[in-house]
Amino acid sequence: MRKLPRTGVIRDYDMSSRSVRIGYGIIYALCLVMVVFAVFPLIWVVFAGFKDLKEFMSSTSILPRSFDLGPFLKTWSQLGIAKNYLNSLISVTGSVVCALIFNGLLGYGLAILKPKGYGVVKKLVMLSLLVPATISIVPLFMNIQRLKMGNSFLPLWLSYGANAMYVVLFIQFFESLPQSMIEASRIDGCTPLQTFFYIVLPLSKPICAVVAIFAINAAWSDFLLPYLVLRGGPLQTVMVRLFVFSTEQTVNADTMMRSVVFSMIPPIILFALFQKQLTENAVSTGIKG
Amino acid sequence: MKKRSHSLAAGARRSESFKSWLIMLPGLILMTFFVWEPLLESVRMSLYKTENIELVKFIGLKNFISVMGKANFTQALVNTFAYTFWSLLIGFVLPIALAMLIGETVRGKGLFRTAAYLPNMLPGLAVIILWSAFFSGEKSGVLNILLGKLGIPTQTYLTRSNLVIPIIISIATWKGAGATALIYMAAMASVNPELYEAAAIDGASVWQRVIHILLPSIKKLAGTLLILQIISVFQIMYEPMVLTKGGPDNASLSLMQLMWQYAFGGSMDYGKASAVAVIVTVILLGMTAVYSYFNNKESDWD
Repeated sequence: MRKLPRTGVIRDYDMSSRSVRIGYGIIYALCLVMVVFAVFPLIWVVFAGFKDLKEFMSSTSILPRSFDLGPFLKTWSQLGIAKNYLNSLISVTGSVVCALIFNGLLGYGLAILKPKGYGVVKKLVMLSLLVPATISIVPLFMNIQRLKMGNSFLPLWLSYGANAMYVVLFIQFFESLPQSMIEASRIDGCTPLQTFFYIVLPLSKPICAVVAIFAINAAWSDFLLPYLVLRGGPLQTVMVRLFVFSTEQTVNADTMMRSVVFSMIPPIILFALFQKQLTENAVSTGIKG
Repeated sequence: MKKRSHSLAAGARRSESFKSWLIMLPGLILMTFFVWEPLLESVRMSLYKTENIELVKFIGLKNFISVMGKANFTQALVNTFAYTFWSLLIGFVLPIALAMLIGETVRGKGLFRTAAYLPNMLPGLAVIILWSAFFSGEKSGVLNILLGKLGIPTQTYLTRSNLVIPIIISIATWKGAGATALIYMAAMASVNPELYEAAAIDGASVWQRVIHILLPSIKKLAGTLLILQIISVFQIMYEPMVLTKGGPDNASLSLMQLMWQYAFGGSMDYGKASAVAVIVTVILLGMTAVYSYFNNKESDWD
């Protein structure tokens, strides 16, 4: 096996000491405990989904009596989750498109074009990072009502086009691009928009991927504004449904656990596909999404 | 001639500047509609009597007086500070410790990083519902099953007013701590391992290296993450809303949850809801100001 380099505080040289070797064993033991702690609740909720109501409420065993997929299929069709999945898919797709286009163009303006007076806007965007989205959810909801955009995906899509964190991510990336290339395209007669589409965008696949993954996950998990906009209507997403179940207690506990499993499947698939990029991105840039 | 070319260049610059603003315009409109205007609007609305979505009458500070005069406000204020306290106690050091542990591993590091990040990807709402089954007071509650194996009798958890806030914070920490640990790992990775090597040769013990090299490397980041953590936990809302509905007897009611109740809990009192939002904003601004004051003071000393 290839020997991996040590990057931590403990050096190869320390391993000759017995107490350091014991300490090193403890470090590994604690890391394994962390893995169990992170994964066990997920395994448990899948197991719980296999139990019917009676078993769920009375059994004192973690394992279900049988691994029959019946209860999952029953909940899926009874609650019509397929429709909610479709709604979530539409909501997420539009949100990602808006997140990339609007935040990307704003970031391009603030990082590269820098027209006169851009500094004020950049400061405002930076300040918005500190202001939580939920704090102004009441007036935002009223604005949406006034424009009669209730029961539509449009306000949800557009809300992802106004994300200060994504704008800052774009700004940081665009500032790191070779400015000479951008300058050259301008001298060759490209308009700012042409420069964006022919020069900047092709160089920006990594940051677009990062913002897209963050936006997919955020849009899928979002439920407060979606609940206010979509409640009672035909467009409810998976998360809105789950929120209604949990606040109105209209479903049994076992059905609830299966709904939780359904709501976790897409994020887990996303994570399985991109876990390397996500964890390495967090480690190298310090952004956790 | 010279003058003319100058004015031409100025004109071109002006039109370029105009085009640049045009490119940013859609994003600016959305930022205004979704972020900036609602923030200002909530200040204005807090001063009005509202009926449904209409601002009916300017009433000065009456919303504030009415909101703050109720017992549930004092309770929510105290609870929100309790959430912050517990979050710092449980959630601040844990990510640093996890980052230090994972950073020392060689084989299996990728697995540890993945496992640490995984809970952060899960929908927050699903996480809360999932953990509600763990803390169920029934004998089929997961924690009771596990403790039962150790011979500990069935307990209740979420109905105990002194336990409910630490439990909610523990769940939030379970979701977020691993991903925060990866951010600390980014800062720790900026230390060249040769520095540890050199210190070791000079006779510094492992602990001395941790205290004098590793911890100073994350000092600045820890300060930033501290204030971000305070800002985020101060707005805790859906966790108690879903898990306990603010109970038992308002013991887990948070300020933001109170805001939600005023607005969407049936009474549709958007004016009072905005008053609560403004109070939360003012407290947060105050804490941020105190933080940056001490932060600047400290960097003066460096």
